[in-house]
Amino acid sequence: MLEVKKVGIISCSGEECAGGGISRLAARHVLESTRPGRTVTICLPLFLAGGEEERYFARTFPTITVDGCEKRCAFRATEKLSGHVTKALTVSDILGAESAAAPSFSQRQLNPELERKIDTVSTALTEAVDEIMGKPAAAEHLLKPTVPPAGMRLL
Amino acid sequence: MKHWGILPCNGLDKPVGQLAREIALNLAQDQSKTLACPVLLHSAPSVYAKTKEETQWVVLDGCNTRCASKLAAEMGFSVGKKINVTKLVEKENLNLGHSLRLGPEELALAQRSAAELAAALPSTRTEGEEEAAVVRDEKAAGETDLDFPASLTYTEFRQDKFRFRVPEGEFFFNENDCWVWVRGTRARVGVSDYVQQSLSDILFFSPPEVGAEVEQFGVLGTLESSKAVFEVIAPVAGRVLRVNEELEGSPERVNENPYEQGWIAEVELTDWEADRELLLDAQQYLTYLKNKVADFHV
Repeated sequence: MLEVKKVGIISCSGEECAGGGISRLAARHVLESTRPGRTVTICLPLFLAGGEEERYFARTFPTITVDGCEKRCAFRATEKLSGHVTKALTVSDILGAESAAAPSFSQRQLNPELERKIDTVSTALTEAVDEIMGKPAAAEHLLKPTVPPAGMRLL
Repeated sequence: MKHWGILPCNGLDKPVGQLAREIALNLAQDQSKTLACPVLLHSAPSVYAKTKEETQWVVLDGCNTRCASKLAAEMGFSVGKKINVTKLVEKENLNLGHSLRLGPEELALAQRSAAELAAALPSTRTEGEEEAAVVRDEKAAGETDLDFPASLTYTEFRQDKFRFRVPEGEFFFNENDCWVWVRGTRARVGVSDYVQQSLSDILFFSPPEVGAEVEQFGVLGTLESSKAVFEVIAPVAGRVLRVNEELEGSPERVNENPYEQGWIAEVELTDWEADRELLLDAQQYLTYLKNKVADFHV
């Protein structure tokens, strides 16, 4: 049995809308600044391409998906390939459909308005991490590790 | 002429993924190219079904795991150009650090790379560049022959009336039923028995341009029968040195033996070690082909 030590964040890599870019930068902000050491990310394209370490992690540890839009690719992929998603966030729910559906942006185009939106999503994500990490690990909720793939290194 | 589309890796766990994304966005926004989301492509391939047929793809891999390349191969994309951002960063001697927030130097590199990439795409060649390419083509045509075996041994299997051969030895295949035989930095490429059996009598061969650069999974000419047109999907990246000119007058040679007199082209390899990772050896291809033929005949 494992105690919950880390939470995996799986962000949309979206190119279809601004929500994708916001979710990526918000996820990274949580990983680097608000909850470093307690969160890890899973590379979604690698996860989809068959990365066994990524799939093992998502099967074994709690995961939060952050999707850019209502297509919810990150959530659907995680449910399909690794099982239960502990918490699912969607930028369009947090910021509204209009903000999420705006055209995708390059980092050259970051402005105070986009930074504010990224902050809002990263705050929601940080709260979701705390909600999972803060819960005492009751015996019946302790995680059962699956067998790691050959040669994999535990995170 | 097909349109150009962009398929980036977009990995979140490494800054090279972010840089790949940034180059892709620059290319899409500044050069009006179609941008595909790798995740949406995987989750809902039908979204890109129409675009896929009309598009030649620029594939941008962030790291050496090459997820975008694998995805392009899995989806059967026609790849015209590939960029490995890790190699690009090494070449630029740039230290990306750990953050996904790119600095001014990285943003400038993304912009510059996108502009260079756009300029290098064949549809944007200037007249002068075309002339230079012709000179390169003529030089390439003068290069010496590849030491290809005089005769081959085959493993065969039958399904109904069809006989499928897979040559033994140092042949590698992609899942698009094209083979490559490598010697040093050069290679010969062709199609498998499955292609010639599926097409039936081949009537026309459109060769690739000698001197042209082709990416792994890019198009290396076409074969046409009364049934269909088949794009020869390059199992390796490289520069076309020679084409089998015999096929232009006698395309039926591909039906007679696609591994010997029916070969398609010879190329100077760009990165065989990397290409090899995405190919099947002869034994693996035999297994793959048996399953494919069995499924097809169900």
